[in-house]
Amino acid sequence: MDIVLGIRVKDSVILATSKAVTRGISVLKSTDDKTRVLSEHSLLAFSGEAGDTVQFAEYIQVNMQLYSIRENYELSPYATASFVRQELAKSIRSRKPFQVNVLLGGFDAKKGEPGLYQIDYLGTQAELPYAAHGYSGFYTFSLLDRHYRPDMTTQEGLELLRMCVDELERRMPIDFKGVLVKIVDKDGVREEPNF
Amino acid sequence: MGSRRYDSRTTIFSPEGRLYQVEYALESISHAGTAIGVMAKDGIVLAAERKVTSKLLEQGSSSEKLYRLNDNITVAVAGLTADAEILINTARVYAQNYLKTYNEEIPVEILVRRLSDVKQGYTQHGGLRPFGVSFIYAGYDERYGYQLYTSNPSGNYSGWKAISVGANTSAAQTLLQMDYKDEVDLEGAMELALKTLSKTTDSSTLTHESVEFATIQKLDNGKVVQKIYNPQEIQVLLSKTGITKKDDE
Amino acid sequence: MSDPSSINGGICVAMTGKDCVAIACDLRLGSQSLGVSNKFEKIFPFGHVFLGLTGLATDVLTLSEVFRYKTNLYKLREDRYIEPQTFTQLVSSTLYEKRFGPYFTGPIVAGINSKTGKPYIAGFDLIGCIDEAKDFVVSGTASEQLFGMCESLYEPNQESEDLFETISQALLNSADRDALSGWGAVVYIIKKNEVIKRYLKTRQD
Repeated sequence: MDIVLGIRVKDSVILATSKAVTRGISVLKSTDDKTRVLSEHSLLAFSGEAGDTVQFAEYIQVNMQLYSIRENYELSPYATASFVRQELAKSIRSRKPFQVNVLLGGFDAKKGEPGLYQIDYLGTQAELPYAAHGYSGFYTFSLLDRHYRPDMTTQEGLELLRMCVDELERRMPIDFKGVLVKIVDKDGVREEPNF
Repeated sequence: MGSRRYDSRTTIFSPEGRLYQVEYALESISHAGTAIGVMAKDGIVLAAERKVTSKLLEQGSSSEKLYRLNDNITVAVAGLTADAEILINTARVYAQNYLKTYNEEIPVEILVRRLSDVKQGYTQHGGLRPFGVSFIYAGYDERYGYQLYTSNPSGNYSGWKAISVGANTSAAQTLLQMDYKDEVDLEGAMELALKTLSKTTDSSTLTHESVEFATIQKLDNGKVVQKIYNPQEIQVLLSKTGITKKDDE
Repeated sequence: MSDPSSINGGICVAMTGKDCVAIACDLRLGSQSLGVSNKFEKIFPFGHVFLGLTGLATDVLTLSEVFRYKTNLYKLREDRYIEPQTFTQLVSSTLYEKRFGPYFTGPIVAGINSKTGKPYIAGFDLIGCIDEAKDFVVSGTASEQLFGMCESLYEPNQESEDLFETISQALLNSADRDALSGWGAVVYIIKKNEVIKRYLKTRQD
């Protein structure tokens, strides 16, 4: 199972995704990016069925880009999350549902606040301070419950994420090739290079 | 006249490059009761004159010129009411679909553009006549604040500080242009709208039976309130502004 | 295990009193045994009518959006808010529309009819069969516990503050006997011209 983690701190959201692509017993790639930038201030991280994930994420991505071009305005992270949820809720009752779980990290430039949204393949949406999909939650929520504070700085958030990833490396049965970390704040989306 | 050969279908340009059916629709609106919209810094006013055709006609409680589209947008109608109701229903459904998709109220311009696209469709896809309706939209959204738009049967729309549609629109527009001040507040806008309406009306006086009136404003608590005035409230408003009688009498 | 109506967990209950009604829900959103959120409210107001939705969380969200859509259009066309009885029929027909691919929810409706001033509550199964009760309706993963609590605590014609106590105890003690419910609670006390919303402090396990 892929690792997807998100932490919302005082003025940013941190998203981390595992870099491995695995098929059966093989690791096919160790530099994978399981995220897509939806707009200047929102980032989608995803996990799930191979194929479905990128198809779905890029479908959302182009729709958000189309909205920006049409309206010359960026949708708020909450509006974006609502759109994603609606697409997954429609999908679950279709002939072949997308098996995709997502975390949406965004910064509402108008309100000046970050937002982290967890949405699963059923269309279950929750706004959360920290979130994970799959097994990674079972290993990291105890750490996050203990150490998380809503007023943390981005730096403190990254340190907390470090603790989580260390725990995952210790306990996950397969090598997930480390994590790719991205930060969304008032300045937009950026990668954290030295994690 | 030369138009006869080219006006039976909306899809066809005349040799002079005109769309007669669209022009006829606009002409039909220029006979309809006037509607006026005035934007203030703290709200928007809509005022409309309804033609009272007979004393025997039941005056229904619901308005026939002013409609809410959702919690943030009111429209004034000039033209065929029956046509307008179709478009208003389309607009209400579209606004609710947007709300369901994004969990955010629809921005005013998106709704205006959507309705204008529907109107435009009937100037191009043949066999049907265009909608004989012009609208004035008064709305508020988080992106651009208060907004005042108008759209006509051709499918064009535009934003204004003060605008009129319907009968005597050019006279009304001249008056609005003379008297509009950028820093006007809602109270002033209400007066301007009613004064302009009273000066351009064909009937001798404005009464609570012949006027419809609405305001939209954002309260300090962030809630947007639309108020469509009832006849008694309009009567009070008319006597307050002192235009129950015609000015020049 | 993979029963859609018990993946996320959660409960809802409504009761009538003297010229008042109450409706309450827990705040847990889970994924099987894992708790995901403790801020997931399951009661949605539409004018003076209140709808409680338990069951599959995605359907809870979808239906709350659908009923907001429908009641907003109703409000525009009728120029008034929808009444509890009318809304009950709307819920029923909306659910039955999906008879052979249903929403996995157990809705309950509570409100006071603005014309008659009479309290009204109703519950539904997942395909819209109406259960109109004069005392209480329950729904969710601890519905059996709720039935038990309500049967023993409920008495008719309670004043609003007593009704608040009754419904709160019924909800809390039912949630404590269900692993999938709890994590906070909300209670609405609804009178003719007043609605009070209270968050309850509860055990967090």
